[in-house]
Amino acid sequence: MRYAQLVIGPAGSGKSTYCSSLHQHCETMRRTMHIVNLDPAAEVFNYPVAMDIRELVSVDVIMEELKCGPNAALIRCMEHLEDSLYNWLDEELENFTDDDYLVFDCPGQIEIFTHVPVLKNFVEHLKKNSFNVCAVYLLDSQFVTDVTKFISGCMVSLSAMIQLELPHVNILSKMDLLQDKSNIDEFLDPEPRTMLAGLNQRMAPQYAKLNKALIELVEQYSMVRFTPLDLRKERSIKYVLSEIDKCIQFGEDAEVKIKELDEDMGQLEL
Amino acid sequence: MDPMESSGEENIVEESHKLVDSLDKLRVSAGSSSSNFKKKPVIIIVVGMAGSGKTSFLHRLVCHTFDANKRGYVLNLDPAVMSLPFGANIDIRDTVKYKEVMKQYNLGPNGGIMTSLNLFATKFDEVVSVIEKRADQLDYVLVDTPGQIEIFTWSASGAIITEAFASTFPTVVTYVVDTPRSTSPITFMSNMLYACSILYKTRLPLVLAFNKTDVADHKFALEWMEDFEVFQAAIQSDNSYTSTLANSLSLSLYEFYRNIRSIGVSAITGAGMDDFFKAIEASADEYMQTYKADLDKRKAEKEQLEEERREKEMEKLRKDMESSQGGTVVLNTGLKDRDAAEKMMVEEEDDDDFKIEEDSDDAIDEDEEDEEMNRFYV
Repeated sequence: MRYAQLVIGPAGSGKSTYCSSLHQHCETMRRTMHIVNLDPAAEVFNYPVAMDIRELVSVDVIMEELKCGPNAALIRCMEHLEDSLYNWLDEELENFTDDDYLVFDCPGQIEIFTHVPVLKNFVEHLKKNSFNVCAVYLLDSQFVTDVTKFISGCMVSLSAMIQLELPHVNILSKMDLLQDKSNIDEFLDPEPRTMLAGLNQRMAPQYAKLNKALIELVEQYSMVRFTPLDLRKERSIKYVLSEIDKCIQFGEDAEVKIKELDEDMGQLEL
Repeated sequence: MDPMESSGEENIVEESHKLVDSLDKLRVSAGSSSSNFKKKPVIIIVVGMAGSGKTSFLHRLVCHTFDANKRGYVLNLDPAVMSLPFGANIDIRDTVKYKEVMKQYNLGPNGGIMTSLNLFATKFDEVVSVIEKRADQLDYVLVDTPGQIEIFTWSASGAIITEAFASTFPTVVTYVVDTPRSTSPITFMSNMLYACSILYKTRLPLVLAFNKTDVADHKFALEWMEDFEVFQAAIQSDNSYTSTLANSLSLSLYEFYRNIRSIGVSAITGAGMDDFFKAIEASADEYMQTYKADLDKRKAEKEQLEEERREKEMEKLRKDMESSQGGTVVLNTGLKDRDAAEKMMVEEEDDDDFKIEEDSDDAIDEDEEDEEMNRFYV
């Protein structure tokens, strides 16, 4: 069983920074983690890249070949990835053995979720190759300043998630940049009635039914709960990682192995 | 506030502070301009996914306003566009050179566009005053946004620009949908969820423009929006996507559709233009009835928050000075009494060592604010 995190979120939400901090954290914890770059337009990396989509295709090359702009080139690159799932991707995945943990740093553009099925097919392919996959959705906490913006963030997260059909963890990133943390608390553990009152207050009256429907959604599906991440604090990274591990069911195989060892030891002693 | 502490922070988040200042400035001026609130022109902000046809659609809008003798004004906010098929009255590219920004700040293409927009946003009050001066001569202001939708919808500068408009003129957001690419129900839902997020973020009236109807008719979309059972059936027949979440979402989206206007348009053929402008006018009326009233409320809220913040800061200052000096201090919010003010400055400097220790990384754990966060830390 192998494990994969798909790190997604709007441009500028802190995905690559998260990946590099996660990598550093795992190094100090002596835990193996491989970061994969899936952004064909990325240029600079703060982390060691174990696998890079730019070896397959890059935005610059496509822009030149097809004489198109950066947005069209990105979509084209992702479509190219989809065509190469069975050759390039499988070859690269052979470098990783059982129990290996991969973190995929994805492009920020929402179009790759809404306009092309490539990421969905990518995820299906990983699952077929015995990967436990979960999505990690990052949202910049500086934008979640009131309940309407929080709902807005949930909608954006859902618009990506609906395509992926994966268990996921939502993260409020850049908590270290947030100056007033008192507002955030109510969104980390949403109290539905208060939130609904807030929405009704801030939105025009005709949206009352929509507000109610969305709050019920938040209540029903804990998938719209957010975990804060402050990259300055080891404890914060550790907590986020433990949430993701739970999601991915990482470590359950490992426990079984220890049990087997005990059994062997028991037999020896006898 | 301790001057040394604030300068340290500014070095790190200099740009975002500048943006926050712009936002503050705009909100303060919103108070004065909402009393001179104009009913015209109507601001139409065109947003949409990359490739949905925003610029072509805007071109069509420009042509239509000209043909119909409506007075339009065009604002281009896309710093990276190569060439526009129409002439823009105000163009971000005149003020900010995107390639220069990339070079100077050593950024990639997305960073370059974001920063260009940030730079432009700090001057945006000037743009608003230009339009204000001409308000009596204009019917519509057409705004083209950057190719990538997040750069406008999920950025501080996008928010500033939207707020600047919305606090002075009736503003309507037009979300352009790439109709041919949205024929799969899941993709459609994904797109609609995103439109819903824009509605909640901006809190402005939203018009959906189903573009490229010359390639694919948008009737299927209208059907899905009117009858959610048809939509749910469509989801279930698409792959084996059976999920209670999808069903719940489609119910929520049904409420969403009832509150927005949807028009099928074609930038190429010009179809749907009259209906589109009718929808815009109706949305502008909606704006005047609901959002305008909200504006005054927002202004009062903002002033109250400012007052609370000021009181908190003064309390903090009072506490610090008491604990470090031990003596009583006469506080002055104004500079009427110069000597007292100077005394305050001197005492602040004495506090420097004490304050820096407080703010060091080791002391972060003791910070009261973070107690609430502690349950999220292992």
